[in-house]
Amino acid sequence: MRLARAGTDQIDAPASASRSWRRWAVRFACLAAACGLLVPAWPWDAATLVVPALSPYVAGGAALAARTVSQVTLLAVPVLLIVLVRRRWFCRFVCPTGLLADLVGRLRGPRAPRGSKLPPLGQWLALLTLGGAVVGWPLFLWLDPLAIFAGFVHAWGRGPGWVAWLSAIGLPLVLLISLLVPGVWCARLCPLGATQDLLAWPMWKLRRRRPSETPPPAAWPLTRRVLVAGGLGAIGSLPVLRWLSRGAVPPLRPPGAVAGSLFTALCVRCGSCARVCPSRLLHPDLGQFGADSLLTPVVRYQDQYCLETCQRCTRVCPSGALRPLTAADKPHAAIGLPRVDMSICLLGDDHECAICCNACPYGAIRLVFSEETYLNTPTIDAERCNGCGACQVRCPTKPDKAIVILPVT
Amino acid sequence: MSEPISRRDWMRMLGATGAAAGLGGLAVHPDGGAAEVPRESGFQGTVVDPNATQATASCPTLVNGRVIQPQRELSVLHQTDVLVVGGGTAGVTAALAAKRTGADVTLVERYGHLGGLWTGGLVLVVIGHIVKGGKQVCQGIGEEMLLRLDKLDRGIVNRRPGVNPTVDAEALKYVMVDMLAEANIKTFLHCWGVDAILEGNAVRGAVFESKSGRQAILAKTVIDATGDGDVYAAAGATFQRCTYSLGLVSRIGELDKVDKAKADPNKKPRGLGSVTPLAGVNWVNMTGPEADGLDVAELSRLEMNHRRQIWKTVQGIRATPGYERVSLLETAPQLGVRITRLLQGVQAVTYADIQAGTRYPEVVAVGGSWSGERTEWQIPYGALVPKSGVENVLAAGRCISADLRAADAIRVIPICWITGHAAGVAAAVAVQDNCPVRAVDVPKLQKILKEQQAYLG
Repeated sequence: MRLARAGTDQIDAPASASRSWRRWAVRFACLAAACGLLVPAWPWDAATLVVPALSPYVAGGAALAARTVSQVTLLAVPVLLIVLVRRRWFCRFVCPTGLLADLVGRLRGPRAPRGSKLPPLGQWLALLTLGGAVVGWPLFLWLDPLAIFAGFVHAWGRGPGWVAWLSAIGLPLVLLISLLVPGVWCARLCPLGATQDLLAWPMWKLRRRRPSETPPPAAWPLTRRVLVAGGLGAIGSLPVLRWLSRGAVPPLRPPGAVAGSLFTALCVRCGSCARVCPSRLLHPDLGQFGADSLLTPVVRYQDQYCLETCQRCTRVCPSGALRPLTAADKPHAAIGLPRVDMSICLLGDDHECAICCNACPYGAIRLVFSEETYLNTPTIDAERCNGCGACQVRCPTKPDKAIVILPVT
Repeated sequence: MSEPISRRDWMRMLGATGAAAGLGGLAVHPDGGAAEVPRESGFQGTVVDPNATQATASCPTLVNGRVIQPQRELSVLHQTDVLVVGGGTAGVTAALAAKRTGADVTLVERYGHLGGLWTGGLVLVVIGHIVKGGKQVCQGIGEEMLLRLDKLDRGIVNRRPGVNPTVDAEALKYVMVDMLAEANIKTFLHCWGVDAILEGNAVRGAVFESKSGRQAILAKTVIDATGDGDVYAAAGATFQRCTYSLGLVSRIGELDKVDKAKADPNKKPRGLGSVTPLAGVNWVNMTGPEADGLDVAELSRLEMNHRRQIWKTVQGIRATPGYERVSLLETAPQLGVRITRLLQGVQAVTYADIQAGTRYPEVVAVGGSWSGERTEWQIPYGALVPKSGVENVLAAGRCISADLRAADAIRVIPICWITGHAAGVAAAVAVQDNCPVRAVDVPKLQKILKEQQAYLG
């Protein structure tokens, strides 16, 4: 358990009073900056993206799983370089979730349980995720503390209601854990913290050491952990996801979403896509679409559709669960396909209506007349349709819509 | 009786005696009803000219297998300030509006009734005049017609705020005749406008075919309310040529005799349609196939097909248990031509503008939506005025300047009456101010429209 000790108990390195004061100032400044970036006050969507994209855990896991390095991935590189040299630097100075957890923990005083006998679960989570990412299914990317923080802040903009609160549950849970067992989240559970500990080991061998630092961890337990946890992640992640999502109907995903359960694996539940959507189409799934889909964004058409000129959600995804789209890609990024129920459709009894045809921004719906039935049927050109939902939201039938976007299977 | 008896008085007297004779000849039928006894006709006829011929000098002649129309002078039937071609929803409204604005107006209509597709096409439901929240934005003369229908027994049904009412075609034909007569508007029925009369590039009237032959009506300003843009097209204006779904509406009756004990409420037959002001009578829509409403072969083919289909649909209703007594009352006298020509105007109404509710300083009409799903949208004056090439003609009704998707919102009854209203006032203002229609003082036009109860946002 030497590695565990090395990684955990000494997040707050001993420091002089003045340096301590400075550290608190920096931490609060970072908290304020994170909140500032996440509040919907900026004309640039990139502001939304920065906070969750800073995490090397998310960036690395997502890049490995998706086999691509995007500009978004590069945002985490400076953080990675610093934490390689200065272990847990991110936790000590930057992490807003860590600061809040720390403050909550301090409410308990010095005699509270510290949870130092717990195994380093964070390292297991990180290694399982890494192993999963190697085969394309990073399991616990969504436990990233920055994604949890972003998810919480974005939920405020979602208005009142229990759905908004449920989608923000990550941070309250972390704080509750920190109240019960102060420090245990950062030291033992947080996969981003654990990633830094794991990275510290190879660096220990390479760089100059300071006398105050904890001695190097033994190589074998770590190697064993890497092999076991990483191997389990690699072998087990896909079956686990498949099992979690068994029997579930696929939901409508935002445009540019990667296919199937890879989406639920890559999505870090940061809520950025939902926050920037001008039509407010994206809502956190509450498990209707399988346990693995919990809190991932699903498209729900009420009175707005996915605008043909907008690609914003795809540009703010920190983990590549949504591919960044261009205006040229957008018409081909299918959310779903409409299906017409002629037993409800006004044209089924020859009432005057061509609202769906007129509403379609891509001209993908045409009335096709049948000499046999002497009726017109709205017919969809799947090549032109991207499932934007304009037809569905304008369809005048009540209470059920005669034209509904369904997932492409 | 010292005064000579006029022919009309003669007819009236004869009618009275005829009726008396008829009453005297009534016999009682075994089932209790009265049956008419065959008798000599009491109607009056006169050989006006026993040896009549018509001039053949202007007849087309076959020249080398081609039909050649010789140059000919047309008789001028009438001269007027504002000539409205087409007595449909837009035309009748335009005529009334121009007259109220102070112009001398003449209205010509190809059928024997007024109201066009609203009455003759049995497009009885009024849709497109209400917005989100239920407010009615299409007001003015069209609303006056609805108010008159309100006062008639079974003239209109579903007249509640936020609901699309349905009119009775016969009641509306009567209301329109009444309003035109009250306004003392010169009206020619059975008169089909077939050509524009040009002086340079300015329209100076129109040519009509009727039982009286080919005649001209001269005017200071012409309103094209033909629905198909026949006049502006003939005058050389540019337009979009469109094909669109083309159907035939019908009415079925005796729905009040449906046997509710036998009828399965979950298995209603197709084609029962929607309510009308008359008990047990529904109007039945038909979308129909996309077709060219300017192609007479196509119109003939569809008219015949549609009639067969309507009969088939009614047979289907009758074959449904409980619905045996339902009957086909009538097929619409006019085929349901929706969109044919769309003017290329100074301004065009686009679907995007309708969606966005774009506001114009030159607004002359405000439209709503079919089921209250939209907020109000505007039609600028420029949508009634040809873009270039032609002067002195205004479009009104479903053939104004719009893109095809916007035209689907424009072609409905209330939008026809508001554009008709605007065109009528504009034409009268052009005559009063002695200016071309494209130079009409729009603020003045708007002021008069508002005085005539039109809503402009």
